[in-house]
This record gives sequence, C-alpha cells and structure tokens, in this order.
Amino acid sequence: MKFEHCVRCTICVENCPIFKMNPEYPGPKQAGPDAQRFRLDGEATIDEWVRLCSQCKRCEIACPYGVDVSEIILRAQLNYSREHSSPFASHLFANAYYVGILCSSFAPIVNRVVKWPVTQGVMNILGISTHLPFPEYRFLTLGRSRKRKGRGDKKVVFFYGCHLNFNRPDIGRKIRDLLVSLGCRVEMPPQTCCGLPALGNGDIEIARRFASKNAATLAEYIDKGYDVVYACTSCGLTLTHDYPGILELPEGKKIAENTYNVHEYILNLIEEGYADPEFGPVEKTIAYHIPCHLRALGIGYPASRLFEMIPGLECRILDDNCCGLSGSYGFKKKNRDTAVKLGKIAASAINETGAESFVSDCGACRMQLTEFSNMQALDPSEILVESMINSDSSSAAKKRSLL
Amino acid sequence: MNRADYDVVVIGGGISGLMASLHLVQQGLKTALISRGDPICCLSTGCIDVYAGTRKPLKGLKGLPKEHPYNIVGEGGIKDALEFFIDIMDKTGLPYEGTTKKNRQILTPVGTYKTTCLVPGTMSHASPENDEYIHVISFKGIKDFYPSYITSKLKNTGYSVFDAHAVSTMAIASKFEEEAFLQEFISWLQDLFIPHGRVAIPAVLGISNPLDVIEKIKAAIDREVFEIPTLPPSIPGIRLYKTLKSTLLKKGGHLYWGRPISSVESQGGQVEAVTIQTSGRPTRVHGRSFILATGSFVSGGIYATRDSVKEMVFDLPVYVPGPRDDWFNPDFFDTGHAIETAGILTDQSFKAIESDYDNLFVCGSILAYCQIMKNHCGHGLAISTGVAAAEKCEEYLS
Repeated sequence: MKFEHCVRCTICVENCPIFKMNPEYPGPKQAGPDAQRFRLDGEATIDEWVRLCSQCKRCEIACPYGVDVSEIILRAQLNYSREHSSPFASHLFANAYYVGILCSSFAPIVNRVVKWPVTQGVMNILGISTHLPFPEYRFLTLGRSRKRKGRGDKKVVFFYGCHLNFNRPDIGRKIRDLLVSLGCRVEMPPQTCCGLPALGNGDIEIARRFASKNAATLAEYIDKGYDVVYACTSCGLTLTHDYPGILELPEGKKIAENTYNVHEYILNLIEEGYADPEFGPVEKTIAYHIPCHLRALGIGYPASRLFEMIPGLECRILDDNCCGLSGSYGFKKKNRDTAVKLGKIAASAINETGAESFVSDCGACRMQLTEFSNMQALDPSEILVESMINSDSSSAAKKRSLL
Repeated sequence: MNRADYDVVVIGGGISGLMASLHLVQQGLKTALISRGDPICCLSTGCIDVYAGTRKPLKGLKGLPKEHPYNIVGEGGIKDALEFFIDIMDKTGLPYEGTTKKNRQILTPVGTYKTTCLVPGTMSHASPENDEYIHVISFKGIKDFYPSYITSKLKNTGYSVFDAHAVSTMAIASKFEEEAFLQEFISWLQDLFIPHGRVAIPAVLGISNPLDVIEKIKAAIDREVFEIPTLPPSIPGIRLYKTLKSTLLKKGGHLYWGRPISSVESQGGQVEAVTIQTSGRPTRVHGRSFILATGSFVSGGIYATRDSVKEMVFDLPVYVPGPRDDWFNPDFFDTGHAIETAGILTDQSFKAIESDYDNLFVCGSILAYCQIMKNHCGHGLAISTGVAAAEKCEEYLS
C-alpha cells in the first residue's frame, strides 16, 4: 500500500533495529512514508542516511495499516545509488556470487589467506569489517554435486542459494536427501545468486541480470510440473516478493505462486497425506532464532510446527531480534558497530534460554550469532534429519541415505 | 484430523487475541495467532483500564447498557480474566499491580492524573500521595514530553533535564539497556541531590527489564522512582505486547505475522480455513474453530463507508447506530459518539448474531457497545472478552 496510508503511529519505528542503535538513521517512518512525499517530483535524492536501512523488513511486517515501508525505502536506496557513486565494498557485495565462484574454486587457499592480518587490513581499507571470521568456502559446492536424486510423484527444484552452495554445501545435500526420503524427485539445475545482495547494495541492474537467469530456468521447470523449494529465507523472499515485484520479471508471478519454503513444503506433504514421516526422539533444548526474512514471508514458522512432532525436543522461539548482519550489511565497516550491538542482543536472548544449541534458517544469522553466543548453530533441517535417523522404523538403508 | 491442523485459529494479535490464545494454549489446544501487523496496544500506556467511571471499577458495570460486552462476561468472569492476566505477567519480568476492587491513578505527561486499574510495576508509585514532592526528569530534546506541563499544573514539583544524546523514546529506552549509560545517568541523578519525595521519569527505562533499571536507580538515590507513560512510541505499550507475545510463543502458540487475511473457506456453517495474503501464493491456515479479535475502526477490524460499516474478514453483520446523521454528536471532543457503539453483536457464547458460522467466536473491541473512549475500558475489555470467548470456544471443541 502507498505511503498515504501511513497514519504516523510509529509502530514501524518501534520495530526498527537500526533506529535503536544508530542515531544517524531517522527511522522507517521518516525514511519511508514521511520522506516519500518529497521524492515525488523526480528530484534528486539527497539523504545518504537512506542507505543505513538494512532491509530487514521488520517495519513492514509491523505496520498495522499495510504500508510497504521497507519497499518505499528500498526504492529510495536504489534511486540514491543511481545518482551517487557507491563504495567499493558495495560493488563487491552486489557481486557476491562471482566472489563465491572464485573463492570456492581456490577454497583451501582462500580460507587460509583471509585469516592473514595483512588481508584483513586490506579488507578494512576497502570498507569491509572483519569482526566476524569470514565464512569458509568449500570446493565441492552444490553446483558441483549430483544434480538429480530420488524418484517420486512430487517433483522439486531445489533453489539452494549462495550460502549453502559455496559455504555450507553439506547442509544443502542434507536438505536434498531429506526431500528425497519424503518421496520427492529433487533437481538442482544450474542457478545463480537470487539477486538480493545486488538489490541491497543499490544495483538493480545486476540484480535483474541474476534474477532473469534464474527465472528462465525455474519457469521452465514449473511448466514441467515442478515445485520450487528454497531453504534460505532471504532467497525465498526475493523469489516470491521481488521477482514479481520490484524486479518486474515476466515469469515472476508464476515463480512466486509455485515456490515454497522447504519446511512449509514438508508440512504440505504431511497435510496432503503424501508423506508420513516418523520422527524419532531428539532429546535436546534448542533456541530457534527466527530470521527477519522468514517473518517477512508471512508463512508463519513452519519448521517450528515440524519440531512439535519430534518427541523430546524443546524449542524456544525467538522472533524479536534482528541478528544485525543482514547479509552484507554488517560486513560493511560503517555498519559494524550497529551490527555488533544488535548481534550481542540477539545472542544474549539465545543464551538466556539455556538451550544447548540454536537453529536458524538463515546462513547470515547463523554466522553472526555463533560468534556472539558461542553456541553451535544448526539449520532446522539438520534437526529434522537427526530425528528421522533416530526413528525406530526407518530402515538401515534409509538412515544411510540421510547420514 | 490431520496432525498439522490447528484446534483454534485466532485472528488479531492485540491484547484480546493474545489473551484468548494464551488461555487456549494453557488448555493444551493447538493454537495459531494471525495478525496483519503489530497491535494498537503498542501505542497505549500499557495500563489496564477496566472501567474508569467509578472508584470501584466493577461497581460501574451496572450503569452500562445491557448489550455491553462486560454484561456478557459477567463480574466473576472479568475478575477471573484479570487475575489470569496478573498471573501470566507475574511469571515474566513485567509484573502488574492493582486489583479489580479499586481503581488507581497515574501521573500523565500533562500533569493530570489518569484513572486506571492495573499498572505495570514501573508505575506503582505514580499515584498522587498527599502533595508529596515530585521531581520530574526529562531528556534533552525528547519529543512530546515537556516537564513544565507538569510543574505548572502540580504544586510542589520541580524538574531537571538529562542529555541522553537521543530524542525519541525508543532510542533512549535502547540506551537504558546498556549498563554504562545507566551508570552515567545514575551518577548524574545522584549529583542532583533530590532531598525528598519521588522521582518521575518518562517511560524510557529500558525495554526488556525496566524493573531492574528502576531498582538500580532507586538504590542509588534512595528515592521512589516511577515512570510516566509517553506519547507513541510508547515503551510500556510495547513491553506489554512483547511480553504477552513471547509468553505465547514459549507456551507453544504459533504465529503468522504481518500479512492480512485474503479469503475465508467455509462449508455447512463452519469456517474451515482462512488464507493469508503472502507473497505470490496465499498461505492456508486450517482450524477446527476460529476467534475473531481484529479490533474496531482504529485497528481495521471494521471499516466505515459513507453509509455502512463493514466487518473485514468474515463480512459478519455489523450493528450500526442508525443512519449516518445519527453517528456523531455536534461536539467532536465528546466521547459518547453513537458510532462508538458500532460493532459485532453476539449471543452469550460470543458467537455473532445472524452469523453463518457455528465455529466462530468474537472478542475484543470489535464487539458492539464497547464505547471504549467513553467508558475507559480498553484493555480490561480486551482481556475479559478474550478469555471468555476462548472459554466458549474450548467448550465448543469439547
């Protein structure tokens, strides 16, 4: 909905993590609907602070009047970036996909070199924060893994996203095998970055270039009767919200209508009676840090509904805190302090639950919060796999396929 | 029943919907709460008004029209519901004080006293006490809080201003979460040497643990400290909402947040599912029964056109006080405008009258004849009708 629907109630401001921490950012009400009335006549954007928004979408989810607060801000950010030059780090992060290809190809070397003080010094000069250990790259990416697995009536394209592809292909393979064990035929066709890092760094052209490539592939599969399944909630939000929305892709609507969060998909399989997995006990207490973009998807917290079916598992849901990293946002030196402060708050909420480990659907949340909570981070699917391996009835062969 | 289905789907994430959900999860029912955004209670003082017209809130109920939702809940029901609320809050970091036996008063930012019933612990010393001296603390540049409103209106008051290097209540409250900032504030406060009386501070004393903050300040200056609710962003309102919401999550409730309901599926007089308007493809939420707690005009539960009022989710029949000419009194600032009675009429089990649905219950300010502005009964009504409707829903399911 348009900015005119804003009644200035400030509920968005109450929910803005950046506003709480950085006095330079005037908050979503002012950056969004308030400033929008001055942006109408095509005048140049002069407010550099608009870049301080991390696009966590908490304002938009909170707004009781349906104003697209963060989308208004995103458009202003894109306009600002069109009219002004962007720092080097932004260009680098916008092209994180190519960085990923390069780094994973030379993974053993890269993983060592980024730890050198001299490399870190250069990164700092380039405006990149090194407060977090850089994610390790893997040579055996999902792109280099088996492309097709399983047979069944449910045909699924797995959109795994850059983080699982380059940094945690092990989790990606687990999710693939999990879907296979539930009777899905899983395809992992060649795919690129979803486009979100480019959007977040002010370059809609690059975003659209990435997105069009994926859209062509995904639409082709959808026409053949496949459903698209994602695990990364930020990729998912981009596919379902931005492809038909701000990126205006012709295939966008079709993709949005046929794309599912992996746990939402598994729940649907159970609801339809297609799958009836037996969940074995997992005697654990876990904290579940809900990523901002899972909230923004509006689909509820489907993994937590699956967790309820696991005997022995105690799950504490935490959905009030942004981890502060927001993809590349917290890796920029100028946002470092904000990111660290928010990360500490979110981590202490996790620590306070007394859980043994925490889960989160988002790779960035996991990176940031492992650092500040000193706790093991898991993807929700890892818990599901553990539970299915523990079940009495699952055959040795099935167990092996999940291990 | 499928193991992924819900027993109850509550629509509306305000106080009423949250309390209904809390009652239901307590009874072991699988409950989902759907809200299209954060509730209006985030803008409230966080205090629970029950009925402000009389000194004893429950005494005033007799004077309310017989259709008023309080009369459906009954005196006992109201007491039980508020006690349930106090119990819940007692187990969190935000206990509430007060009883349904007597109203109390709290200081407002304009130097008046507001009548309410239950207050968060941070306002337990906010009642007038024999003209005892009150020292008001303000923050440099803070929006919409002018201590001279208070000092010019109330005798025996004074004020000082602290520079927090932030002007919004939200940003200042975030700073109070940091120990270093709190210590700086405390040592500034100690240097004021406030010799007697109480200290009043706008409600910015941290977001998650305000009572700890107050305790520390109190210990350092040896004076009673209380908060004055502010204009939005209202921190006590946010605390109340966040505390109820996280308690619900803790007890196993499920949330669907941020998107409106786009359609309703029903069959044979039963609501079967609602769909949420998520990006691309709607999300279907299936339940055995439903509770509607979407609020009145401000919250968007009902919507007025030129000549009618519409209920936004199920298109339930809405009671409207006559033709549009009769909706408003000539004086805008009157609190008894007839349109304030608009809403859903229900039977004794909180089912909408003339509704097509047998498994749908209605609670909160969307109910007809509330007149919240006139009766000052907002959160009290939300809590008591929320719990009562949830009880009826539970009876229905068993």
